[in-house]
Amino acid sequence: MTSTLETHPTDSGRPAGAVREVSVAIIGSGFAGLGMAIALERRGQTDFVVLERADDVGGTWRDNTYPGAACDVQSNLYSFSFAQNPDWGRSYSEQPEIQAYLQATADRFDVRRHCVFGADVTAARWDDAAQRWLVSTTAGEFRARVLISAAGALADPACPDIPGLDTFAGTVMHSARWNSSHDLTGERVAVIGTGASAVQLVPAIQPIVASIAVYQRTPAWVVPRTDHPVQPWTRRLYRLVPGLQNAIRGFLYLFREFLVIGMAKNRRFLEPVERLAKAHLHRQVRDPKLRRALTPDYTIGCKRILISNDYFPAVAAPNAELVTAGLAEIRPHSVVTTDGVERPTETIVLATGFHVTDLPIAGKIRGRDGRTLADVWSHGMGSNRSTAVAGFPNLFLLVGPNVGVGHTSMVYMIESQVAYVDDALKTMDAEGLAVLETTLEAQEAWRSLIARKSRGTVWLAGGCASWYLDRHGHNTTLWPDFTFRFRKLTRTLDRENYVGIPAGTQHPEVAA
Amino acid sequence: MSAGALLRRVAAVRTPDGAVLHAVVDGSDDAPVTLVLAHGWTLAQAAWDDVAELVTPRVAAGELRLIRYDQRGHGRSTWRSPTSPGHASEVAELAIDQLGADLGELIDQLAPTGPVVLAGHSMGGMTIMCLAAARAELFGERVRGVALVSTSAGDLAPAGKTAAERLQLKLTPGVVTVAISAARTLERMRRLLPPTNPRHQKLVRELLYGADATDEMVIAGAEIMHASTVRAFAAFYPALGRHDKRRHLTALRNVPVEILVGDSDQLTPQRHSRQLAEALPDAALHVAERTGHMLPQERAQLVAEAIERLLVAATAGRAAA
Ligand SMILES: Cc1cc2nc3c(=O)[nH]c(=O)nc-3n(C[C@H](O)[C@H](O)[C@H](O)COP(=O)(O)OP(=O)(O)OC[C@H]3O[C@@H](n4cnc5c(N)ncnc54)[C@H](O)[C@@H]3O)c2cc1C
Repeated sequence: MTSTLETHPTDSGRPAGAVREVSVAIIGSGFAGLGMAIALERRGQTDFVVLERADDVGGTWRDNTYPGAACDVQSNLYSFSFAQNPDWGRSYSEQPEIQAYLQATADRFDVRRHCVFGADVTAARWDDAAQRWLVSTTAGEFRARVLISAAGALADPACPDIPGLDTFAGTVMHSARWNSSHDLTGERVAVIGTGASAVQLVPAIQPIVASIAVYQRTPAWVVPRTDHPVQPWTRRLYRLVPGLQNAIRGFLYLFREFLVIGMAKNRRFLEPVERLAKAHLHRQVRDPKLRRALTPDYTIGCKRILISNDYFPAVAAPNAELVTAGLAEIRPHSVVTTDGVERPTETIVLATGFHVTDLPIAGKIRGRDGRTLADVWSHGMGSNRSTAVAGFPNLFLLVGPNVGVGHTSMVYMIESQVAYVDDALKTMDAEGLAVLETTLEAQEAWRSLIARKSRGTVWLAGGCASWYLDRHGHNTTLWPDFTFRFRKLTRTLDRENYVGIPAGTQHPEVAA
Repeated sequence: MSAGALLRRVAAVRTPDGAVLHAVVDGSDDAPVTLVLAHGWTLAQAAWDDVAELVTPRVAAGELRLIRYDQRGHGRSTWRSPTSPGHASEVAELAIDQLGADLGELIDQLAPTGPVVLAGHSMGGMTIMCLAAARAELFGERVRGVALVSTSAGDLAPAGKTAAERLQLKLTPGVVTVAISAARTLERMRRLLPPTNPRHQKLVRELLYGADATDEMVIAGAEIMHASTVRAFAAFYPALGRHDKRRHLTALRNVPVEILVGDSDQLTPQRHSRQLAEALPDAALHVAERTGHMLPQERAQLVAEAIERLLVAATAGRAAA
């Protein structure tokens, strides 16, 4: 089987042995890793590396090159606040443009020279005696005072456990590991999954394939996409009128924040959104049977709300079929469903999402007592301010637990966290601390805050099983409130929730 | 094919004028015979689901390949390509002959060799007659059997000076264009009465179904019709009125034909099937009691049995040849 499921080829051609000493090591160069690097660079802290397993910056937007890949939040909002781009070609940009933006931003702030590409972090261990993180990568060993993990929550493709998948003789590719040299023209294609990626790629490939079977487990709510090209005069205006783009960004932000009222406060406010989605389906799909198959049985917002104008027409096209029977097995040349129907298939596209509640990076980071983050998190991902974990000194997580948002830009959350971590680093420097570690009490307080906020939200009470919840049914991925509340809570370091060890000693300070 | 699984593939058949027909092909390509089912006016291939289920054991056993498809402008199938010349006038000049040509194209692309049995319901039966008139050479060698269910060779307008006849006369192309432009309004009205509405179902039942039809049948039929466009309704209405193949049925004399009709069919009343039986003296005629126009649903068993007789004859002929 030809497959694109493996992670990036690793390059271990560098001489091993020499350990590189740095003040800060950042894992990952997506929006979060780059945002952190730029923050350090801008305040003159240049002693850091960005360890990136791939060969370029960009993260999500480097990896998701499937046809139709685009953002679901307007580019004016889904971009760094400090690096607005007046030149977006569309209101919702497509992947190549977002990737180009991230590359250009890395160059503009001159952080690429800190990046070590081909550096897949295989293990990171806290050396308590040396008060350093020992980081092993496929590009050598690093010793860092502070480790910042920005390895992404949607970075590691999840592959479904379907019997026989490995016996398939055709091509298998995951949406996030697209093989653009494989031509789908005239092929019989199976798309497994109907989430955010499928909704984008199905209409993009349907016109060129011989036939497309979309295998659906749970239908998604889909609302119209208000995408449009940005007029040249608008772009000129953005350049000419200072603050205009910021004002629009602010407006988009506020507008989207209204959704939180329905999702987290009072689900009644979601009813108009659900009506909109129903009308959209009704308008685009005539066949009552197909319509029924495409109508979710849970409250809108429980799973990510998808936006598309061409998904429904694509699954209703003459060469398409929506399959709702469960997958039974995969044979060398076909896909078999539990109703006993076997569909000849040449290419299988897995639009099956990512490891979200079981982040692979958590299995690689070992804290003071030698246990991994994954061990410590086996009963759920706990943290203080979604960023620090007791037992893991000098470790900060970007886009860790309970930072996810579906209704607005992740970049807003990322910038909130970057400011918080930066304040922690400045505090360490100012106070001359070698070690900074949060407490179990702080973690417990944060856990109960999240639990309290999550109660009654659409994610817990909306009647669906989503990737937002862990296997215990707890919300460990989403921020369950207005995003400005998260920003307020992370504006500065909550020093009282941390214990510091001054440089030159092994002893914690007297409680702060 | 591995045991226990039913092979299925979706095929999009592109016609020379750019329409794309949605077809579902069940069974192995090397099955000894292919059955093609053509549905009726404002319906879709789903109208054949009950019959298809009854012949599925044959498909699973590798004895039969089953092709269901949506006629142009129905179900998932499109109209002529918007870029092809004459797109705008397609509706006005549409004739059932076009559907016959589509069926021929579908057979050429999906069943280019081997024996074929055709079954057509209502406008689907007319489709087969049109194919027989246009490509007589297919019948006998390739097409080995035909089932004509609740259909007519022509003269669909009831005799006498009824309102319907006057309406038909009025439906000149100009009027059709007006009907199409009013499609949106009509459609919105139809939405006000969804198939789940009892009044909607009563209407459908009275027009299409016989005394024994269950509510499930009526709902299923109403839903299929609900999915079709007003454009399909308006475009084929005059074409049905113009359909007249009473003198072009000779090709059908070369193959076994089964004619089936319900005794209380109001759209294509019994006399149409009797006319057909007169023109095809060797054909078998079955009149189902207490049955309306929706024979494939109302008397799926009867229809499936007729089709099976044709399938057996088609493959027996091949074995003897
Ligand atoms: C198809 C798609 C569409 C999306 N659309 C939107 C949207 O419209 N709006 C929105 O707000 N969000 C969207 N998201 C979410 C998106 O992931 C975030 O907005 C954001 O890009 C996350 O950035 P990040 O830096 O946290 O993670 P990533 O961009 O995933 O970056 C993580 C980086 O870490 C690297 N890495 C991981 N593990 C290791 C390791 N062990 N060693 C070394 N390097 C490692 C990866 O290679 C990667 O480069 C989308 C996600 C996907 C997949």
